Amino acid sequence: MKRIAIEERGDWKAQADSLGFTFHTIDGAPYWDESACYRFTLQQIEDDIEDPSGEIEKMCFDVVRRAVDSEEVMQRLAIPEAFWDYIRTSWRNGEKNLYGRLDLSYDGTGPAKLLEYNADTPTSLYETGAFQWLWLEQAMERGIIPPGCDQFNSIHERMTEAFGVFGIPGALHLASGSGSAEDEGTVRYVEECAAQAGIETIFLNMEDIGIDPAGRFTDIDDNIITTLFKLYPWEWMMSDEFGASIPDSGVTFIEPAWKAILSNKGLLPLLWEMFEGHPNLLPAYFADDPRAATLEGGHVRKPLLSREGANVEMVRPGEQPLSVDGPYGAEGFIVQALHPLPVFEGNHTVIGSWLIASQPCGIGIREDDSPITKDSSRFLPHVIRD
Amino acid sequence: MKRSRSLKLALMGASALTLSACEEAPQDVAIFKDVLQCENEVGFDRDACIANFEQAKQEHVRVAPKYTSAEDCEADFGAAQCETAPQKTQSGGSVFMPLMMGYMMGSMLSNGSRAATQPLYRSKDDPKNFRTGDNQKVGSKTGVTKVPAQVAKAPSTKTSTVRRNGFGSSARSTSRSRSYGG
Repeated sequence: MKRIAIEERGDWKAQADSLGFTFHTIDGAPYWDESACYRFTLQQIEDDIEDPSGEIEKMCFDVVRRAVDSEEVMQRLAIPEAFWDYIRTSWRNGEKNLYGRLDLSYDGTGPAKLLEYNADTPTSLYETGAFQWLWLEQAMERGIIPPGCDQFNSIHERMTEAFGVFGIPGALHLASGSGSAEDEGTVRYVEECAAQAGIETIFLNMEDIGIDPAGRFTDIDDNIITTLFKLYPWEWMMSDEFGASIPDSGVTFIEPAWKAILSNKGLLPLLWEMFEGHPNLLPAYFADDPRAATLEGGHVRKPLLSREGANVEMVRPGEQPLSVDGPYGAEGFIVQALHPLPVFEGNHTVIGSWLIASQPCGIGIREDDSPITKDSSRFLPHVIRD
Repeated sequence: MKRSRSLKLALMGASALTLSACEEAPQDVAIFKDVLQCENEVGFDRDACIANFEQAKQEHVRVAPKYTSAEDCEADFGAAQCETAPQKTQSGGSVFMPLMMGYMMGSMLSNGSRAATQPLYRSKDDPKNFRTGDNQKVGSKTGVTKVPAQVAKAPSTKTSTVRRNGFGSSARSTSRSRSYGG
């Protein structure tokens, strides 16, 4: 796995702006970064990332299967009891999942290690599925990279395929939290994929959602919402005012409620408990488990519920602990064995492995100047070339 | 090859919504008051008539206008023209809806008619014309005919919103980041 400095396309910012990818630069700091790209061999992609991602997804389904029938596990995950039945029903009814992103630490050798699973509200879908695909085509055309390069990225096709067989009756509503250009960008891209599959789509903000006398959710025009894609985490859905109305609303949610079990970092100790020793897993325990103290060689403490590296604390042997501020942690913590991200020219690199309808089909690469990946990280494209 | 073969990308943002703003050609549809009328139409076989009728019945539960009293329903649709809906109000009360008076489907005589199978109703004030669940006038003709594209689409269901802004407060009180995802 190599990091290769390359020439940037002179017009990439203008192209990004015209495509609606306005968050290529955030508060003046670069986000999309094509001054370098990563290079993998086909074998690295297939053997070390694609296949293990599929295996990890299967193990995660085993965790869900166990969790929905276990009050003890649901309690450990700090999922409110009022939603246990609803979550169990969403799993038993086979409510479909659309997408998710596994965050992997991998340096080109040895098994990739699962750091966490963004199973409910993964972002960077557009950059990964569309913009880096366009970069590849144009970079080859313009001689920035050699001809005949490939990329692990069939996300756009898989998304439209998935929507084609989802079985959505009537219109699909899609919602993001207001005030985030990045989140709206991701949701607009999902909307595009659904529209290409022939689905009627209606975009709105989460805050615009209303409720009618029969307890059904409504949009700005008072249409009843029957299927809702939401870029808004389940744990906040459940604690918001309308949370109590969710079970009787008749809405099919994307992602479905059972994903709340996987978007919780309690997933990691559960995976270790059920599949201890699996090459793609790191030892992990709930923070109050005495076995947490047995983790040698450093560890990382993470809240059950958090995002973008907030409230993560990294303890490294012989070094000062590293921590990130934030508002999370009320539900408790897990501890995971330390497996530092590989460093390429001072950049700490994490691989986001995407599953669409549970099929691994692409990766997006992020770099941060610190060992804990935060929302300051940059997105870099990649190629496959043997 | 490990990547998508092609990518069709409209501009994100405004143009993703232009599908509904487009002028679309009128659609071929078939309108019947019941299965018997459908199977007597040339080119329509009984099995397809029944299957579409069943689908319309299912949609009927979803898209029929809903009322919290039989009187309100009958004021719009006429005496004895309403039935109890399977839904309940949040407090467990009954919900009422008009009877399904016919159904509309894509015409089997035309290639690629994209009309959605849907139930039809007759209002008290305009009993000659069929109407869709979202109160679009369809007309009085039965059999194969043309309707505006908007009418042929599966009805959105409208209701009255009593409260808004019930989602979002957990986000505001927890996160100061620029994204609610991760």
